[in-house]
Amino acid sequence: MTYSDLLRSSRDNCGFGLIANIDNTPSYQTLTRAITALERMMHRGAIAADGKSGDGSGLLLSMPREFMRSVAIKGGVELPDLFAVATLFTKRKNRLDTFCDICAANDLKVVLKREVPIDTEALGEQALESLPHIYHMFVVPNSIISTQRFDALLYLSRKEIEHALFDDDDFYIPSMSSRMISYKGLVMPTHIKEFFLDFQDEQFKISFSLFHQRFSTNTLPKWKLAQPFRSIAHNGEINSVEANRFNVKVKSESIKSEVFSRKELDRLLPILQQDMSDSASADNFFEFLIVNGMDFFKAARAVIPAPWQNAPHMDPDLRAFYEYHSTVFEAWDGPAAFSLTDGRYIGCVLDRNGLRPSKYVITHDNTLLITSEYGVIDLREDEIKERGRLQSGEMIGLDLKFARVLKDTQINDYLKSSNPYMKWLNTHMIYLQEHVEDQYGAKYNIDQDLLIAQQRFYNITQEVIEQVIEPMIKEGKEAVGSMGDDTPLAAFSDKQRSFSDFFKQKFAQVTNPPIDPIREKVVMSLNTGFGEIHNILDELPSHASRLKAISPILTQEKLKVLKSFGDEESPCYEAHYKHAVFETTYKTDLKATLDALTTKVIKSVKKDGIRIVMLSDDGFSSELKTIPMLLAVGRINQELLRYNIRHLVSIVAVTNEVVDSHSTASLLAYGASAVHPKLLFATVEQLVESRSYLQLSTSDAHKSVLSALNGGLLKIMSKMGISTLASYRNSSLFDVLGLSSQIVDECFCDSHALIPGLGYSDIDKRIQKVHQDSFDKRGFGSIFPLKIGGFYKFYNGSEYHDFGPDIIHAIHDLSRSAKASDYAKLRGLIAGRDRKFIRDFFEFKSDRKSIPIDRVESSKTILKRFASAAMSLGSISPEAHECIAEAMNELGGQSNSGEGGEDAARFKTNKNSKIKQVASGRFGVTPAYLRSAEEIQIKVAQGAKPGEGGQLPGHKVTPLIAQLRHTVAGVTLISPPPHHDIYSIEDLAQLIFDLKQVNPKATIAVKLVSTAGVGTIAVGVAKAYADKIIISGGDGGTGAAPLTSIKFAGNPWELGLSEAHNALKANGLRELVSLQADGGLKCGIDVVKAALMGSESFAFGTSVLTIIGCKMLRICHVNRCSVGIATQNEKLRNEHYKGTVEQLKNYFMLLAEDVREILADLGYESLEQIVGRSDLLKVLKDERSNKFDFSNILHKESGVETCQVDSNHPFDNNSFEHGVLDEARSIIKKPSGSIRITREICNLNRSFGALISGEIAQYYGDKGLKDGSINIELTGIAGQALGAFLINGVNIYLNGVANDYIGKGMHGGKIIIKTVHSGEEFSGGGNTCLYGATGGKLYLNAAVGERFAVRNSGALAIVEGTGDNACEYMTGGIVVILGSTGINFGAGMTGGVAFIYDEEHNFIENVNRELVEAVRIDTDDGDEARHYLKRLLKEYIDETQSNKAEEILSSFRTQIRNFWLVRPKNLTKLPLSQEKGD
Amino acid sequence: MREFLTTSKIDPKKRLVVERTKDFNEIYEPFDKHSARAQSERCIQCGDPFCLNKCPLHNFIPQWLKSIAQKDLEFAFKLSNEPSPFPEVMGRVCPHDRLCEGDCTLNDGHGAITIGSIETFITTEGFKAGLKPDFPGVTTDKKVAVIGSGPAGLSVATYLLRSGIGVDMYEREDRAGGLLTYGIPNFKLDKKIVQHRVDLLLEAGLNLHLNCNIGGDVAFEDLTRSHDAIFIGIGATKAKRASLKGEDANNVYSAMEYLTAIGKKNFGKKYDKAFDFKGLKVVVIGGGDTAMDCVRTATREGASQVTCLYRRDAANMPGSSKEYKNAMEEGVEFSFFSSPKQILTNSKNIATGIEVIKTRLSSKDESGRERIEQIKSSEYNIEADVIITALGFDVEVPPFYASNGIETNEWGEIVLDENHQSTTAGIYAGGDCYRGADLVVSAAYDGREAASAIVKSLL
Repeated sequence: MTYSDLLRSSRDNCGFGLIANIDNTPSYQTLTRAITALERMMHRGAIAADGKSGDGSGLLLSMPREFMRSVAIKGGVELPDLFAVATLFTKRKNRLDTFCDICAANDLKVVLKREVPIDTEALGEQALESLPHIYHMFVVPNSIISTQRFDALLYLSRKEIEHALFDDDDFYIPSMSSRMISYKGLVMPTHIKEFFLDFQDEQFKISFSLFHQRFSTNTLPKWKLAQPFRSIAHNGEINSVEANRFNVKVKSESIKSEVFSRKELDRLLPILQQDMSDSASADNFFEFLIVNGMDFFKAARAVIPAPWQNAPHMDPDLRAFYEYHSTVFEAWDGPAAFSLTDGRYIGCVLDRNGLRPSKYVITHDNTLLITSEYGVIDLREDEIKERGRLQSGEMIGLDLKFARVLKDTQINDYLKSSNPYMKWLNTHMIYLQEHVEDQYGAKYNIDQDLLIAQQRFYNITQEVIEQVIEPMIKEGKEAVGSMGDDTPLAAFSDKQRSFSDFFKQKFAQVTNPPIDPIREKVVMSLNTGFGEIHNILDELPSHASRLKAISPILTQEKLKVLKSFGDEESPCYEAHYKHAVFETTYKTDLKATLDALTTKVIKSVKKDGIRIVMLSDDGFSSELKTIPMLLAVGRINQELLRYNIRHLVSIVAVTNEVVDSHSTASLLAYGASAVHPKLLFATVEQLVESRSYLQLSTSDAHKSVLSALNGGLLKIMSKMGISTLASYRNSSLFDVLGLSSQIVDECFCDSHALIPGLGYSDIDKRIQKVHQDSFDKRGFGSIFPLKIGGFYKFYNGSEYHDFGPDIIHAIHDLSRSAKASDYAKLRGLIAGRDRKFIRDFFEFKSDRKSIPIDRVESSKTILKRFASAAMSLGSISPEAHECIAEAMNELGGQSNSGEGGEDAARFKTNKNSKIKQVASGRFGVTPAYLRSAEEIQIKVAQGAKPGEGGQLPGHKVTPLIAQLRHTVAGVTLISPPPHHDIYSIEDLAQLIFDLKQVNPKATIAVKLVSTAGVGTIAVGVAKAYADKIIISGGDGGTGAAPLTSIKFAGNPWELGLSEAHNALKANGLRELVSLQADGGLKCGIDVVKAALMGSESFAFGTSVLTIIGCKMLRICHVNRCSVGIATQNEKLRNEHYKGTVEQLKNYFMLLAEDVREILADLGYESLEQIVGRSDLLKVLKDERSNKFDFSNILHKESGVETCQVDSNHPFDNNSFEHGVLDEARSIIKKPSGSIRITREICNLNRSFGALISGEIAQYYGDKGLKDGSINIELTGIAGQALGAFLINGVNIYLNGVANDYIGKGMHGGKIIIKTVHSGEEFSGGGNTCLYGATGGKLYLNAAVGERFAVRNSGALAIVEGTGDNACEYMTGGIVVILGSTGINFGAGMTGGVAFIYDEEHNFIENVNRELVEAVRIDTDDGDEARHYLKRLLKEYIDETQSNKAEEILSSFRTQIRNFWLVRPKNLTKLPLSQEKGD
Repeated sequence: MREFLTTSKIDPKKRLVVERTKDFNEIYEPFDKHSARAQSERCIQCGDPFCLNKCPLHNFIPQWLKSIAQKDLEFAFKLSNEPSPFPEVMGRVCPHDRLCEGDCTLNDGHGAITIGSIETFITTEGFKAGLKPDFPGVTTDKKVAVIGSGPAGLSVATYLLRSGIGVDMYEREDRAGGLLTYGIPNFKLDKKIVQHRVDLLLEAGLNLHLNCNIGGDVAFEDLTRSHDAIFIGIGATKAKRASLKGEDANNVYSAMEYLTAIGKKNFGKKYDKAFDFKGLKVVVIGGGDTAMDCVRTATREGASQVTCLYRRDAANMPGSSKEYKNAMEEGVEFSFFSSPKQILTNSKNIATGIEVIKTRLSSKDESGRERIEQIKSSEYNIEADVIITALGFDVEVPPFYASNGIETNEWGEIVLDENHQSTTAGIYAGGDCYRGADLVVSAAYDGREAASAIVKSLL
């Protein structure tokens, strides 16, 4: 992808759904209902100011046969029984000839071309500019033969036409089918009926429709990217799409079809169209399976399998179905709700994590409606037969032929019994584990001298042993560190670095969520198989042949077993596992050896039948160096694919290079099936034998290391939102920094090559040098032979650290003395570091003459652009937190509360943090907190560990912190990896909307971490109405994080900032948002360079801590910070915290002066004038700098450079609630008595309650108004986030149902939802209700969706059923569920309690018992709980008249036996108070 | 680790003053295993190990502290003996409070880690446990001459021998060790310890030539002919003069004369009896470590009164504050803000006392140190039977420098390039003859770096 394409690329999320008449009876009403549903989900798409331009919408309809016939007759053609209509987008009319010619060549006849009648009035400007001609091509079979295989020929023709017109970007075939037709385009749902005149004809009768409203992250939407595609409509994002695309190519190699001949297959391949979206790729693949005769449901579940690997509750036969299919299929993994159809069946399937809403309604008149939201068409309650939702991994289907709705269990029954999968597996599948006696028992016994040389060559330093390996041995977990990464990129370093250092992990942000590999482990798997990828279109017993391992990391024993199956001499030998070992050693020429090795591997696969390629660097010696394993794996993987033999082979890396999860993951992501980390295991053995303090056996140590690596792998996969290793392998999910384009093209071509630089010969030179050094026996190192290290911590003479001792001393000195001379010392150190960071390669090149400094804007105005980076009270001490706030306020800058609340007593003082952060834990996020902010920052990712959650251990949770975070002292607080209300861009838009209601004056900022593609995300964020975007460097971060995340995830900020700035410009959105850079900024030169690259303001994290005394201990995570900053220890805080407001002021004043001097030098009066002026920078000219290509970073799109608006207003002005607020205002002004307001509500009225609550919080703080002051009675179906941030004194009574996020961030008041269709059978609310609630009550007499009460810390809730993951991360509050729950209940729940009514006695299976226990309450001990519950139920009945609760209460003595009380294991005193659960 | 909140800093025990001033034995009792471990466990293991950064040798301090905490003496021994040629010496003589311990993260109220004492502990205990640094023997045909057996010479010899290179070491005194042997009193550094190191080197193949003065006994040119490289480590041994009237009086001595004489006395060798100061009033001029060595030696030698004259105050003394404290404890009198004006002599050219003028501190100079200003009309006299000047050292410039093209700067210090090589190829140098009077640890560093360069050029 070119840089220009990258700036303009997009990701899409959306609202979607389907509607079908179960009896397959066509009607015009089905069409109008589909259109209405689309209109009612407009807020899930993007809308421009003119109300006409958006990112596209569309409908995939069952063929309106009668309509088409009559149209054809008007055109003079009488259609036969069998006909198809293709929809065509083209700008050039001669393309129609190509279309007709290819059809003719395939025995098809085009009988009519029809220009589809449209009304261009309905289009926005942009859509009009790019409007293609839209044609309907009527195609019929030309012979008897073609009649029989009409559908196949249609597909073949379409593929051939696509290939023929590949270069024509404007040509596109939205559909070409006899069963379905697509109407889509860059048109808003509200105008689609006007636009397509066909829709105004009541003859246009259809029986079903898939529909879709697109939200693209960019503003350059294309007609062809509108959805639905040919067989699916997708809401979400496929995180694993890179791997899936690669794997489709691999699968294509071995396809044999019953529908198409070999020759035809060759004509129609490749399966995937290039340069299309993730959804389009999924559609291509699914469609291919269907066209080739694969069963509709099997195809659906092959592409989107339910999580089966770690699902003990699943039917074994069903697991067998999945396990069998896992030999050739891997999940298209990520947040996904797919509507799919092949014309006969129609269905909807949800991803394994349940990250997208999918709600269905079945009416008495036999309509099935599945949509993202309830209430998108108006139905009376008495019309409704069923109202439900899909749970994680579930599918619902409709057989149009037999008019049957198929629920998940019925589909599963069909799948599992369609073939004897279990038998096939039993016969053919082999588990390595079964053949292993003691898998950790192996001995390495490497010669000590060689071992040492290997350790030196493969960069196992003393530091790596201490910091990386020993923690794995001791804890069985990856090591944790803190304070970010301050070392240069591998490419810029002149020290020894591992090859995998060039690779930076990708992570999910905004458009897709990361997942929690610990708390939601149930959906994850590292299962690995070895063996051929057989024809995916066949189901044969022999296809079950697989050697399987539960982890891709093989111990020596497992490797031996694997080898024994591929060794002709062995009794276990099977030809399809035949292996050969290829040495990666070389003497002189890296590139030539790599080429030769590749050729050798190809040959052995082709000629010798090698099926398991073992790459080994075993031959390393004083004579022989080794090719970096990752380079070899990447290259061979690509080359095998080029020869179409990738499917035959599994690649195994037996390597000395792997020491941590990062180096493991990179091998897997570029094609390895498994890894044997030989030197790591050997080193562990050596350590255990030589270091008595380790006190454990080698096998225990190996076991620990293995589990640490496994955990690390899960973490790396999950930060990209990928659940299974099969979907991660071949994903190339890394950015490659500093390697030449040639290397990346040849070995890592699916990754972005950033700052292209070092080529084969450069790498070769580096290896030569290290190799020489490794065998250097000259005196030094003879006593202690290892290198000391220096990558993680500072050591003299080793890797450069930008916060090394000298710089720390300099910062301390200057902030104490306030002297310019001391500041100059720091500046000198920074200037003297010599090209360690990207910005160091640039020098100024002004187009103006210098000006006197007095013409430059004052320090005061510059200081306004400075902010402290987010650091929570909790991660740092209250003293430090307040000191920073006070200093920033006095300077006129901003301080950032961080995640974790702030003492309300600070709100109206100069200790108030102007920036309030909203992070995934939502700790302390209350209406008053939000209202006290000048800026609300949504932390989507943080530099230290993008895509990961966090944990504040109980011992750090002091009473103050507990109070701020609405929990109890000593309770561990877990922040989930994703925001559970942002799985997708339209979700972010919703959260921004919520926040803009609760605090209309605040700037809403979104914090992102630099990575290739962050520009696309930034554009989407701007479209979601954020006002400001922060681009954080992947190296930053002050908090604790796994070392591999600190070091290897995320890119330097320069890359992200420049990309975001340019992408916003390319999309014309730069003027709507401002940009801020964050990461390692210290001096004026950093600030000015950041400004030139597009940043308008600047955040300082580590520097700020250093100023107030931090000495870079990097032990923030142990509560022992000796300078009293990163600790809650009273003694350390009181006696050793020495930071002052003055120090911060001194530093920033000097910094601002420095900025002024540089501006004067450049000849500019203000920072504003130079923002985005990358043309004022030029790359240094010398050999080292010339190595790298920085042109993309200095690239300058044309357009406005800075934000030009005060606020990026959402299209929805929320007049609905403004009206309600007007009515309520009298009582807010004069709070006495109470008021009753009634309204009809619909799903377009979102975030209801937030505006009023914010207004009340402004004057009354979090205590709000007197209970029951404002009572709002609603009827209808509420939009998302009903009662968000609700405050005391406001009660919402809804007669109807509500959508997702009910009571999000609720702090007080009541939400009472009464629905006619009640009980656990019916849904009354959506997903993620009560997320981050800190108080209040929610009663709802039906079931709710996934993740109910996630991160609840104070609300009291009663509902009658929930989806999966209920009460996840809960830290307080009380939840009563009078019906069934989904799986993984109470994961990460560290506080609060839940009562579960479990009549079927199957609840206990659903509990995640890591942190909680379920106890009965029909005992003497349960006395208090029992009576408490009874009181709650009585009140619940009063409010909702729940039948279920009445039933229970009427025989309470009996029913009490069916209740479980779930509580955290270490909770001693139940927090049962009548008011709320704290 | 990180037990600094629960364990306080504890220095090793000192012997009682009344006991220790009776002999020349070391005054510190070594750490036992438990204290060494407990003190090591206080270490934070910080991300920026300031200790290691400040140490001229960049010793692997955090790493060996951790090893001791983990009861792994052998590993600590290896870590400690890798970058340092004689850690057990450095643990005793290095001014830790100004270097590693001074910059220790915990030295801001918590109390620095007692790095020096633990350093001493590791190698002392290691030796006891039979551990030894590895020497391969002379495995190459290369040979290097080392002139001077002081810290720089011992260091370069250590690293050369570790590389299998032969070393001829030339020392003009009767014992090896230079300053370590005759400069530093036994109560600070037991001579057995120095000798043990020398023995280890002898065992490793060192050829030691004692009582051999290069340029005298052996011509420098002979060395160049017979060796592949030469290292000069002859120190800075010329006492700085005070330029005072009366300085040449018979009973005014330089510090090094005094310390060497007593050193010899303690070895049971012949020495000049004029240095027996028993019952005399001794005045030492100067405030550095050498001055402390002199006053404390005099105390042990039974002087009736020992006074130290210093122009600034205690806080501004250039040496280790530990030494000042020890001297105080041992009964030395300090006369601060006192600048000698002249030495009062009688007709036999014997000093009888010193005329002193009071001083005060004034504005700071460029380096941030406060200048001294004399207070008018504040002169007074003090009596003295013996006067010792401890005003620092200058380098001596032997004639063979010039004749071999070895350039020096205006102070006579050898000019070196980044490889510690002099202006004549193949001739290296380090220590005080290159730096002027400096620390033992700097000399050890020079020796190590020079060895590294020599090894690179020879092998």
